[in-house]
Amino acid sequence: MIVPVTTVELFNVVRIKPEAAELLHAITEQQLADWEGEWVPELFKAMQRLRRADVERRQWPQSRHWDWRKKAAVLQGMLANPGFSIVCDGLTQGMMIVDTVKHQARIEGQQGKHLVYVMFVENAPWNRAELFDPPRYRGVGSILIRAAVALSEELEFHGRIGLHSLPQANEFYANTCGMTDLGADPEHDSLRYFEMTPEQAQAFIAKGA
Amino acid sequence: MKIEISREWCRRMAQQEGDAEIGAGRLAVDPVFGGDPGFDEESRIEGPNVAFGRFVSLMRRRRGMSLERLAQDADVDMADLVEIERDPYHKPELRTACQLANFFEVSRSGLMQVAGLAEMKDAKLFDEGVRFAARSEPTAKLTPEEGAALEAFVAVLSERN
Repeated sequence: MIVPVTTVELFNVVRIKPEAAELLHAITEQQLADWEGEWVPELFKAMQRLRRADVERRQWPQSRHWDWRKKAAVLQGMLANPGFSIVCDGLTQGMMIVDTVKHQARIEGQQGKHLVYVMFVENAPWNRAELFDPPRYRGVGSILIRAAVALSEELEFHGRIGLHSLPQANEFYANTCGMTDLGADPEHDSLRYFEMTPEQAQAFIAKGA
Repeated sequence: MKIEISREWCRRMAQQEGDAEIGAGRLAVDPVFGGDPGFDEESRIEGPNVAFGRFVSLMRRRRGMSLERLAQDADVDMADLVEIERDPYHKPELRTACQLANFFEVSRSGLMQVAGLAEMKDAKLFDEGVRFAARSEPTAKLTPEEGAALEAFVAVLSERN
């Protein structure tokens, strides 16, 4: 299977310069191998550091239990649940799985309309400021959300996307992405639900133009 | 599908994104039971520890013991005990689970399964663990319902050797 690829750039914080990267329109075995062989050990070491530093557990990454192999095993191959990943410097830097069927818009004026729902999105451990100082790459989240918006446009959902943000990421979705915060969702682990309207999608794209 | 993203866009957005956390998705907040269809297996593997932590907590409180006291009397690591009660995903040390089974006088093999340290062979035990976790809420004092839930679960555990 040939995986479509979009050329992108991430910003290398250590070298203080942008680096060429690839946005893969899929999560392949290579990404899962990177998750097992690179992400999990780094996350484990980071957890040990947090534990030794007596950092409160509520400040630990809430996604630390995620198992991307299980997620991929369940969802891979389902047309309704495409995946995306970013590769830079030979390693997977971020992954995302979306749903294009089950979720509808909730925001006033858009209710019931189709959207791309971001089921899971995660940065590599070394790109996360709460785990590594300094983190290695910036820009992973913006590119993956841009991919979700592009898919939404491709499906004629006009850029509408929705997601349940982990508490530590609320600010990113509210401010950087400009999504509307519809509040804590008691049916989704009380995570805050964010939605992007077609207008907000255009504004998000224009932010970097 | 074709996606075109310019290098300039990537650079500007990387600057705006900064060091922000970006994680999103369900099954990320403890405790977790249920979830999206198709993820039952994941919940089933991770779930029993909710019951284990709750069980240890209620048994300790029923005896009016502090965490420190229980760690001392059962001869288990204090840090492991704290994790057991507070983090449903924490995998306890094998020795800790054995010591706690001895201390609380319940079946070792049953508690191992509930703790996620042994394969959950007994579907009834799994169901009882889930029911127990669902019934009991951590409050300052045991309610009659909690007491009843605890008794019922102890009885199920005690049946298995």
